[in-house]
Amino acid sequence: MFLLRRLGWMLITLWVVYTISFALMRAVPGGPFSREKQIPEAIRRNIEARYKLDRPLVVQYFDQLRPLVTGRWENGRLKAWPDFGASFRLEDYTVNEVIAQGFPVSATLAIFALVFALMLGLSAGVVSAVQRHSPLDVSFMAAATLGIAVPNFVLASLAIVLFVFVLGWFPAAGWGTLKQIALPAICLGAPIAAYIARLTRTGMLEVLNRDYIRTAYAKGLHERRVIIHHALRGAILPVVSYLGPAAAGVLTGSIVLEQIFSLPGMGNHFIEAANQRDYTLAMGMILVYTFLLYVMNALVDISYAMIDPRIKLQ
Amino acid sequence: MPASPKSEPRPNPDALDDKSPSATDDARRDRYEQLLAEAQAIKGVSLWKDAWRRLRQNWAAMGSLGVLITVSLLAFFTPLLPLQSPIDQDLENRLLLPPDSTVVYLGQREALRFEANSLKAQLARYDQRLDQLQQERAQAATAEEFAAVDEEIQQIRESENPLLQLWHRPGPLSQAMIRIRLAIFGDWSLPSWAGTDALGRDLLARLFWGARVSLIVGVVATFVSLVIGVTYGAVAGYAGGAVDAIMMRIVDVLYSVPFIFVVIFLITFLTEESIKKTYLEPFGINQIMIFYVVIGAIYWLTMSRVVRGQIISLKNEQFVEAARTIGASRARIIFRHLVPNVMGIVIVYLTLTIPAVMLFEAFLSFLGMGVQPPDVSWGLLANEGIKVITPIRIYWWVVLFPSTALALTLFALNFLGDGLRDALDPRMRTR
Amino acid sequence: MQFWRKAFPYLMALMAVAAVAWAVSFGTLPPADFAWQNGDEIKTVDPARATGAPEGRILDAVFEGLLRNAPAGPRQANGIQPMAPKPGVAAAMPEISDDGRLYTFQLRDDARWTNGDPVTADDFFWSWRRMLHPETASEYAYQLYYIVGAEQYNTAQVAEGDKVEVELPDRPDPLQAFPRGTIRRGILRRIVPAESASQDTDDADAAAEEDARRQAYYVVEVKPEVDGQVDWEATGETQVFSIEPASTTFRDEETQHDVQTCLHVLIDFEAAGGVRVLGPKQLQITLKNRTAYFNSLLAFYPLYPVNRQCVEQYGSPYWTKPDHIVSNGPYRIQFRRIRDRVRLIKNETYWDADNVHLETLDAMAVKSQTTALNMYLKGQLDWATDVPQTMIPELKKRDDFLVAPALITYFYRLNVDRPPLDNVLVRRALNMAMDKQALCDYVAKAGQQPARGLVPPGMAGYEGALAGEFNVTRARELLAEAGYPGGRGLPRIEILYNTSEGHQAIAEAIQQQWKNNLGIDVELRNMEWGVYLDTVSKTNFTVARAGWIGDYPDPNTFLDMFVTGGPQNNTNWSNAQYDRLIEQAASEPDAEQRMQLLREAETILMDELPIIPIYFYVSINMVHPEVQGFAPTLQDVHPLMNLRIDRPSL
Repeated sequence: MFLLRRLGWMLITLWVVYTISFALMRAVPGGPFSREKQIPEAIRRNIEARYKLDRPLVVQYFDQLRPLVTGRWENGRLKAWPDFGASFRLEDYTVNEVIAQGFPVSATLAIFALVFALMLGLSAGVVSAVQRHSPLDVSFMAAATLGIAVPNFVLASLAIVLFVFVLGWFPAAGWGTLKQIALPAICLGAPIAAYIARLTRTGMLEVLNRDYIRTAYAKGLHERRVIIHHALRGAILPVVSYLGPAAAGVLTGSIVLEQIFSLPGMGNHFIEAANQRDYTLAMGMILVYTFLLYVMNALVDISYAMIDPRIKLQ
Repeated sequence: MPASPKSEPRPNPDALDDKSPSATDDARRDRYEQLLAEAQAIKGVSLWKDAWRRLRQNWAAMGSLGVLITVSLLAFFTPLLPLQSPIDQDLENRLLLPPDSTVVYLGQREALRFEANSLKAQLARYDQRLDQLQQERAQAATAEEFAAVDEEIQQIRESENPLLQLWHRPGPLSQAMIRIRLAIFGDWSLPSWAGTDALGRDLLARLFWGARVSLIVGVVATFVSLVIGVTYGAVAGYAGGAVDAIMMRIVDVLYSVPFIFVVIFLITFLTEESIKKTYLEPFGINQIMIFYVVIGAIYWLTMSRVVRGQIISLKNEQFVEAARTIGASRARIIFRHLVPNVMGIVIVYLTLTIPAVMLFEAFLSFLGMGVQPPDVSWGLLANEGIKVITPIRIYWWVVLFPSTALALTLFALNFLGDGLRDALDPRMRTR
Repeated sequence: MQFWRKAFPYLMALMAVAAVAWAVSFGTLPPADFAWQNGDEIKTVDPARATGAPEGRILDAVFEGLLRNAPAGPRQANGIQPMAPKPGVAAAMPEISDDGRLYTFQLRDDARWTNGDPVTADDFFWSWRRMLHPETASEYAYQLYYIVGAEQYNTAQVAEGDKVEVELPDRPDPLQAFPRGTIRRGILRRIVPAESASQDTDDADAAAEEDARRQAYYVVEVKPEVDGQVDWEATGETQVFSIEPASTTFRDEETQHDVQTCLHVLIDFEAAGGVRVLGPKQLQITLKNRTAYFNSLLAFYPLYPVNRQCVEQYGSPYWTKPDHIVSNGPYRIQFRRIRDRVRLIKNETYWDADNVHLETLDAMAVKSQTTALNMYLKGQLDWATDVPQTMIPELKKRDDFLVAPALITYFYRLNVDRPPLDNVLVRRALNMAMDKQALCDYVAKAGQQPARGLVPPGMAGYEGALAGEFNVTRARELLAEAGYPGGRGLPRIEILYNTSEGHQAIAEAIQQQWKNNLGIDVELRNMEWGVYLDTVSKTNFTVARAGWIGDYPDPNTFLDMFVTGGPQNNTNWSNAQYDRLIEQAASEPDAEQRMQLLREAETILMDELPIIPIYFYVSINMVHPEVQGFAPTLQDVHPLMNLRIDRPSL
């Protein structure tokens, strides 16, 4: 029931996003076929006819919406669902193909970044909380605040000079090998790690003074066991609820990093699509991102209920 | 989350019992309201005082507050400071100079063709000419003559004012401040302690003028989000029931909208020439205001959720009941009685939103959608900075100073936000 | 629930591990022999649909036209390698008739497609007709307009008495223009407008015209076909066609005809005689007028052939998939990864494969200048085409930094309908108040030459006209003469440019020069590319930045932009004398005389100044020293098949 209702709201969300984006895209001047070298009127008309841009906007609205709902059928067999149509600017591809190629890149980047952020952030937060006011704590927290305060494009540029050219650990940019993923993933994960570290530290400090922790210690449990099994479980809630916004942050961040590191991911495709007025591709990107964000938020809610028995899904 | 008892100021319950409320008796009601207001005022002060006392003990937060106040003051009084021109390029001699300590005089660049290569002298000549014309205008015999001289004055103001050569469209207040500065320091200005950029402009001056834009964007956009978020959250929370459910569902839906994409569309759409001419300029809306509104419009979501939660926990408290009993309107209850009580958490949230907004501005600058030159912002400067970090050569000053300024401000805002949360929410005092 | 709650942390950890494992599973890729920065992701590899330099570099490697650009003669003193069209698929340079209109080609016997079939004259005919077909919607279709009949075919103009082809709506795949439906060929006897021709004059004229064209009845005398050959002399059968028929019958004076629905009524391109297939390996092209640079056009990628069988089997755009595509160039496409790379691999069936040295090439879609420089320095790229402007002074000290003049002009368009730019004195004043030398030396920095004319130097036999020099005193006088002494009362001027670091720096510097030198306060407006193009095409600006790349090494490619109403004019400027000179030059057989006419035209342009030329570009390339065979050229084309690498490992 919970899942069904969520699904219903997701469809509504997607529809709202589709409508807003459609309106905005068509309202922005410049079409997908504007060029520096002007093309003769007759040719322009041919092009518009080919892409059905000469139809009334309402018709275009439904023309684009229909295959999203029904998918693309060939000879009675479903070929693609949802069908985003052909890309206007990357002519040799359909939007589905662009997403199929771009999504793994962005997803890989996001997974590495999030895993890195969680590992670093949680451990730094726990260490800070346990050794409160030690030099380690102070330096961790200073680094964490710095991580939040420096724009990630500055961070990435400095990281390139340091890790690529001074230390020579990684290649400069591009996609294909693990080494190439590492640096952008670290840059992307750094601000999130910083935030998680602060949340964990705050949560831990609050929990460590609770009676049940004292009881656990009194029972003679090992400190590590107390911290990981008892304290962390109580302190992790704010971190989990931050994962929703973190996913959104990964989104924005990956746009910047995909540009700086020249990665063929979805953020890169979207910025280009918006600049080039590639209506179908931009729409595809937005809808996929909306879907991901929604799923992420739903997952966060579920995890919440899993971790904290007091919370019920509704 | 139940709010702590301390943060809920209540009117004196005794006062309520003594007098039976009567909607018809205006005089009594007025007095009653006055009493109520007084009671609230007293309690309110003590709450803030309490928080202030706690905040003062937090040296990190106090230091941050000091930094922020200094930065804001410096930004506001930038025209008064003996800085070089933020827009005057010296292509021949000053491209990408590292920080140095050679004093620079305003107007010394030959190509400006200023009298005696001095801004002060040129300004004096301009003022003199204007005076002369104004006298002529005063002595004008006929209406046509008056109009002709008047027009000339207008044109000279527009085209010959030397201040316009060195600053980008300074407003009247800025012009006045620049004149005061000229009176105090003359043409002398600070050396390029922060170096110069790729077009030979002084980075120190650009940093200060950029601070004005960055801070204003941060504050105004946050204020917009505050107004929308608080109103929306308070209305939803107070109304409850179906209205609340619908309003919060809308927020949920919006939460899943990838706003960065919508913003990119919105900015391209709203900054487009024809749209601006038709819809925005008649109302005096310019690029930077669009910016405020667009950014503000994104950040209200969390604010509204937080406020709603607080309002729900407050709305059944006695002081609200009391206000309702004396017939206060809904709007009045929400905005006069409830909203002031959630201000604590709102302020905490504000100090955390401002840095987010400033970072977002930097992000938009990275994509080339930030403020338009020759206006500068820290985001724009940082973005110019990363263009010159290459392994061939690093012009470190171009990236270091703007990034440091930005980071320092965001640092301070974060610390202040933490401090305020601790101060306003005693439950967290264990930290 | 309790179980799930217990298992949850482990589940999450498991998911994380699985995700990481999935992410790691992407295989690594062996590097190519040679990788270069190709800029933006290419739009398509269909020659008929492609535009732009990144597409050009790939198409030049993958396909081959009748002619191809190749090094001609030794390098010049300034290091520039002269390039000229050389035989490609053609066995030799064409025989050209005395009036310069008839080109006869003999095709190479050993030219083959990657599927083994020979490249025939018919392939060229079919490819060009496909490119001109309205549904292909080729942007570069006008490059074929020099050929007889091409423009009419492309723009679907038909007149009574024309030989026409009518395509019936029975295509095997209705969504694909090729293979086509049944073609009826005959002589168009009459065009009868539909009675219900729409009267909404509110609509744009173009739209109304289009409606009328679609609804009209076409009375065609369909000629009989024997063995695929039309007998134009025979008497045919009268049939009536319409694209969007309003009624099913059409009443002529005496008889009634059924109206057949059709997709297109186009002139018969074959019968028009512009391109004749004389034999499997013999091709003849007829031009409308003498066109001095037609050989250069034949070596230009829109005119490369495509394989009919491949296009018809898979349809567009699926035929361009690396698995399907059939090409005829020195390389073929191994795979493509969007906004990452196009991997090219040597084509062993290419007729000149012995002279293709590198086995694999990577065209990297790297846009950011800084990223490209980083990758180049790290050895991830062997050839960088675009580097950060601020670094140029540092990079110039290196041996691998190649700068050469290019056939590209950077200029500002002035909208001559908008005050104050309607006054030629103001335009001249703006030009003279611009210190172009300083812009080149301190802003552009790569050795660009300040421009006093539109046509870049280096065109054989042409010497350009000159606009006024940098002269502040004179500029101020001119502005005063125009009625704006000291810039007083001058209506607001705004410089429009597309978002880019380089354009912004130039605009900011010019803003300051005009402010200091003339006392006028101009505004800057940057627009993101799509919006910028739209604004410029609607001439909705006062001053707009522009750049023009010569399509072929001839002054005409620059000068014919500014004829009245030309699609690239965009300044509202019009000059009858200028138009006449350009027209005369187009048909002038004598080269010297022709250059003289063009020079006269440029003199008018530089006197009237609807544009302010700023500088002539240089091409900037960084190429690793071990790469042999790379030389700067005027058009910045660098055939990849000529490259070889002397790396120890190879």
